[in-house]
Amino acid sequence: MLFGCIHVPDFPVQAALRREPIPGPVALLDGPESLLKVVACNDLARNAGIDIGMTKLEAEVCPGVALRKRVIEDEESAQAALLDCGYSFSPRVESTCPGTIIADLTGSERLLGDGRNIGPLLLDRAEACNLKANVGIAANPDAALCAARGFRGITIIASGDEAVRLAHLPVRVLKPTPETLDILDAWGIRDFQSLAALPPIPLTQRLGQYGLHLQRLAKGGVERELVPAEAPTLFHEDIELEEAVELLEPLSFILNRLLEQLTARLRARSLATDHVQADLFLEVHPDRELSAASLPDSIAPLHQRALKLPVPTQEAKVLLKLLQLDLAAHPPQAPVKKIRIEVRPARIRLTQTGLFQPLAPEAQKLEITLARLRAVAGETDTEGRGRVGFPVILDSHRPDSFEVLPVGPDRDDQRALVASSRLALRWFRPAVAASVELMNARPVAVQFRRKKARVVHATGPWRTSGAWWDAKESWNRDEWDVHLSVDGASGLYRIFLDHRTGQWFVEGMYD
Amino acid sequence: MASLALIKTQVESRIPGALTVYARPEPETLPTGIAALDDQTGGIPKGALTQICASPETSSGKTTLLLSLLAQATGKEHFCALVDAGDCFDPASGAAAGVCLSRLLWVRCGGKHRLKPVEQAFKAADILVQNGGFGVIAVDLSNVEERLVRRIPLATWFRFSRVVEKMPTALVFLTPSAVATSCAALTLHLGCKGPRWSGERTVSHGCLLANMEFDLEIRRTHAKKPVAPARPDFTARPQWA
Repeated sequence: MLFGCIHVPDFPVQAALRREPIPGPVALLDGPESLLKVVACNDLARNAGIDIGMTKLEAEVCPGVALRKRVIEDEESAQAALLDCGYSFSPRVESTCPGTIIADLTGSERLLGDGRNIGPLLLDRAEACNLKANVGIAANPDAALCAARGFRGITIIASGDEAVRLAHLPVRVLKPTPETLDILDAWGIRDFQSLAALPPIPLTQRLGQYGLHLQRLAKGGVERELVPAEAPTLFHEDIELEEAVELLEPLSFILNRLLEQLTARLRARSLATDHVQADLFLEVHPDRELSAASLPDSIAPLHQRALKLPVPTQEAKVLLKLLQLDLAAHPPQAPVKKIRIEVRPARIRLTQTGLFQPLAPEAQKLEITLARLRAVAGETDTEGRGRVGFPVILDSHRPDSFEVLPVGPDRDDQRALVASSRLALRWFRPAVAASVELMNARPVAVQFRRKKARVVHATGPWRTSGAWWDAKESWNRDEWDVHLSVDGASGLYRIFLDHRTGQWFVEGMYD
Repeated sequence: MASLALIKTQVESRIPGALTVYARPEPETLPTGIAALDDQTGGIPKGALTQICASPETSSGKTTLLLSLLAQATGKEHFCALVDAGDCFDPASGAAAGVCLSRLLWVRCGGKHRLKPVEQAFKAADILVQNGGFGVIAVDLSNVEERLVRRIPLATWFRFSRVVEKMPTALVFLTPSAVATSCAALTLHLGCKGPRWSGERTVSHGCLLANMEFDLEIRRTHAKKPVAPARPDFTARPQWA
């Protein structure tokens, strides 16, 4: 059996530093606004005189210490990142407590090597998630946990050596209740070795089963089953900003950091994403907050944008560029005070390219290209059809019925090449209103775009109608193919009479 | 002569290849599927700019030619792009011509946008060329007013021709007139010869379009400018014939 524990010392501080990297001493405050107290700090802050439980006023006396408010969301996302580190090595990972996870590494020796190889890998993975951790590897979970809590860096304990290696660790590493710690302190029990040497029966008589359990932990001999954490179905990162951000450029820096953290987590789990949702919580004016119900629809306190990718990706740069382009096209209408990025995990798509296959755009690069093209040509037309993408003909008799989908070249609707050239139609979108002269119910002259054309030949009418149940979608018309002669130019056009309005239109030209 | 040879030797010793005549390699071509054109030119050259010129008010076969080219290219699993400045493309016609629509990226310019359709088309073409990986990039400017197309500076055409030179991409422009001049490796002019009808003329719906004949003129090719322009014709049948 082999277990690896990753323990992040001063976890609340490190979780906060993931959001806002600060090089110097940092202390976190929590509690009611009127009585904020220090709940966590790093070593530099301790050296500067900060102690847990200090009030804000007392902490402000210490020079150079950055004081920040504790954000629970930071710790939740850091814990999720830590779990992802564990999942990159084993499917059985326990979320022991905030800042500590234990992974069951049994059986991974053949793949990753022994503890000496796995230890640095665990440490590197945690560092990739911006967490400075200690790693303990032992034959049972609790010994690994004590090693990670008690020693800096990587500690590897061989099976049977637990009691010897843990002997000099202080008792507080076991995190006993304050009352028990006081009793042990009063007995002069300071380290594991002293606790392990106590006779078990008198210890049980005085401290109960809890005391006996602590002694077994100190000996490093507790065997227990891990309680595996449930793998998350969604990955998200949140950030609440001290100052609301108005411009897209500074917002991009924050988005980049969040996306990098998310993609690092995805990479740790060998996953990618094909759906990204960005929730931007806006700073609405206080007066407006009071009357939230009277807010105009155009200024909502939450600005949501979603990206759907045809090909899953792990690249933070690709996702950032797509989000930047999307936000440039749909900017938030008020400063942003909180951001939540949520990604839906998907399996990495592996494709085998052939040596003799023709060149095709890279799928991820193509996504950015499509987004840039949408920024140039617009997203949709007046009928809600896309302006950039791949055309799909709809199964309908309605003329000019198609949609444009943002899908890549995966679908294969290879058509047989026609032997001879087929006459193409060029649409006039929208159709051009025309006035048509009739003789014996046949068009003889058509006037449109300020020009009058003589009809050389006309065939028709071809009557079509449909969707009579829907006033908006219905059509009822007579189509004619007319050969027009305009100032010597010869053109074959399609015209139609709309029976609903009695108006003639020129719909397109055969070309 | 001896001194000329001496000078040549001295120059080439300092700058190798300075006096060597650069032989431009024969470009690869993509067949259009129209035998009359393919026989004369071998198809549309890759790594070069091609302009197809025709009057916007004439049924000249420019769209038929373009769709035929796209059908051939997508049929060979090339990925193609169509920048449609006038939003005129008919997907049904494309499908009938054999275009694999899932390999055709369609950019529909126009609409209520801050940029004019011509500007949109050129920006989109720029983005597509930068992206790379396309077998054919077609820019349809046929429905744009000729005066606007003529305003496009020659430097723009030159830039496009230089950019695609090293790429395996055929860059095709449909324009109302020959505006790219010498920047185009191939210039085609199209005109209408007229439609042919079949059936009973006395009844209006008894007479159907049988085919259309087009007049194709090759004004400039990648090899060299022909002494007299070649004038092959081609015909196209409607979807129902």
